[in-house]
Amino acid sequence: MAPVLPLVLPLQPRIRLAQGLWLLSWLLALAGGLILLCSGHLLVQLRHLGTFLAPSCQFPALPQAALAAGAVALGTGLVGAGASRASLNAALYLPWRGVLGPLLVAGTAGGGGLLVLALGLALSLPGSLDEALEEGLGTALAHYRDTEVPGHCQDKRLVDELQLRYHCCGRHGYKDWFGVQWVSSRYLDPSDQDVVDRIQSNVEGLYLTDGVPFSCCNPHSPRPCLQNRLSDSYAHPLFDPRQPNQNLWAQGCHEVLLEHLQDLAGTLGSMLAVTFLLQALVLLGLRYLQTALEGLGGVIDGEGETQGYLFPSGLKEMLKTAWLQGWIAHRPAPEEAPPGEAPLKEDLSEA
Amino acid sequence: MALLKVKFDQKKRVKLAQGLWLMNWFSVLAGIIIFSLGLFLKIELRKRSDVMNNSESHFVPNSLIGMGVLSCVFNSLAGKICYDALDPAKYARWKPWLKPYLAICVLFNIVLFLVALCCFLLRGSLENTLSQGLKNGMKYYRDTDTPGRCFMKKTIDMLQIEFKCCGNNGFRDWFEIQWISNRYLDFSSKEVKDRIKSNVDGRYLVDGVPFSCCNPSSPRPCIQYQITNNSAHYSYDHQTEELNLWVRGCRAALLTYYSSLMNSMGIVTLLIWLFEVTITIGLRYLQTSLNGVSNPEEPESESEGWLLEKSVPETWKAFLESVKKLGKGNQVEAEGTDAGQAPEAS
Repeated sequence: MAPVLPLVLPLQPRIRLAQGLWLLSWLLALAGGLILLCSGHLLVQLRHLGTFLAPSCQFPALPQAALAAGAVALGTGLVGAGASRASLNAALYLPWRGVLGPLLVAGTAGGGGLLVLALGLALSLPGSLDEALEEGLGTALAHYRDTEVPGHCQDKRLVDELQLRYHCCGRHGYKDWFGVQWVSSRYLDPSDQDVVDRIQSNVEGLYLTDGVPFSCCNPHSPRPCLQNRLSDSYAHPLFDPRQPNQNLWAQGCHEVLLEHLQDLAGTLGSMLAVTFLLQALVLLGLRYLQTALEGLGGVIDGEGETQGYLFPSGLKEMLKTAWLQGWIAHRPAPEEAPPGEAPLKEDLSEA
Repeated sequence: MALLKVKFDQKKRVKLAQGLWLMNWFSVLAGIIIFSLGLFLKIELRKRSDVMNNSESHFVPNSLIGMGVLSCVFNSLAGKICYDALDPAKYARWKPWLKPYLAICVLFNIVLFLVALCCFLLRGSLENTLSQGLKNGMKYYRDTDTPGRCFMKKTIDMLQIEFKCCGNNGFRDWFEIQWISNRYLDFSSKEVKDRIKSNVDGRYLVDGVPFSCCNPSSPRPCIQYQITNNSAHYSYDHQTEELNLWVRGCRAALLTYYSSLMNSMGIVTLLIWLFEVTITIGLRYLQTSLNGVSNPEEPESESEGWLLEKSVPETWKAFLESVKKLGKGNQVEAEGTDAGQAPEAS
């Protein structure tokens, strides 16, 4: 019954391990706290930008999973700091002895699982943002005029505030507004010949103009904002529609929002990766410390050498023991296999 | 008759010193807070100095910054003194310096209180500078090709968007100035020629506003031009229309912003002032109780601490006497030197 990955730990290396573990645990707690802040920030952003993402988009699942993973990482860090501090003192370590085993299992299974899930989401979800934004922005622009339709009455204000804050216009450029009726029919004069002509010249009966809303205007432009008749070169003095338009924001909101959200998701993903590494190190260190101190019994400050290990026996023996125990327990009365064995098997398959 | 006498035994003295040491370090933190508040206000004023004619008074943020630094210095010194007060040998070093130090602390507290009051009282001057600055800013709105003023359009536009305001007192201020530069006017158009001729100064005035006055919450696309002409737009009545443009003037908006900022800073400074007064009183008690230990070989003995040795009118009389003596002392000296010089001359 050879222990898996044994490590001889006399007193001095044990103390060093405990001290290093204490430092790593505080770093892990810090990383967990930072993840909590970052995912909170992303959640708040998504609340404002939620109208511009299609309802079927799964992106909000990422900050939620990261929030849970960050909380568990913070907890693991605090537990690790407490346990490593206590391991240097026999009186303090006594209450930890019984609790440390199940805590390690919970930390590996729960924390590790959540972190892996969050990392996976951080890698896969930003790809789906493109279509979600395309659909969401398209709907928002189409409903810009529906300020009296329940469910869409806020769209105008939200699109205007989006364009003002993020310095963008339309989906991919200001010309998107030429293909959408953004002036509500309530404010169109039916007796005006120009209005009638425009509506009739269009297959769907939409009132389309070569104008944009005021929120597309760029304050850096030297001239007062030109919003109407943008394709007519004779409508305004010194204005050539073929030149790049300095008057309006050049970027489309799709690109701006995509970059913004992908940046946030990327930052969150890299923080999750660092936390995963730190958590793995802390859990490994705690396991070695726990098994080494178990070998000593109650005498923590003793000069004796002990062995720390990951698992008391190899995979085959563990499975055999678990099976036998389960079989023996099953014979006299139905009982579950000890819960400690099953998660350890999970660890083995993970490692 | 001493003022507010309190008996101190050894334990109480030690507790007082330790408590004061902790409070002094919290007070250093408070000093850092005052410093950063002053810095924040200075940066906010600098950010918008364009619309304040560059003549706004920086008295409040400068004094907050100065008070913050002084508070850090004095309180860390006081913390060191309180720490040493528990050791008679080290305390003997500080003993002669404590009285002038406490006098300086009292002065510092008075100045801190005055600075806190200033935070509440100085918004009047801000109102004047804002009014002047905004008027000029709007005047130079169209001068985007004049060096030194080319940024004014961008500044005013971003100000109106950020603070949700329009014009100086309201959107009608834009009707009285020419905010469209002559470069972008079509002088062959009859309408333009009419407008310029109808005006004494030859300015092109319109009943229109820049786009930054538009309110995104309006249900209809923004009406910027021909605002007072109901027939120019379908289903429009400018008398009842409320949501189209921002109604507030930028002077009122900026004033509210800076007033609330300075008021909250004033409240924080007042709270910190109360804390500092408590620390000064505690330090005075510590000083008098340690001085009252009659026998330095017996640090366990009881002593009395007080605020003033005699009652207030007696202390004031004694203070005046000492000032007079100082004056008389100078006079006697001066007479002595004169008499000494006179025989020499003659």
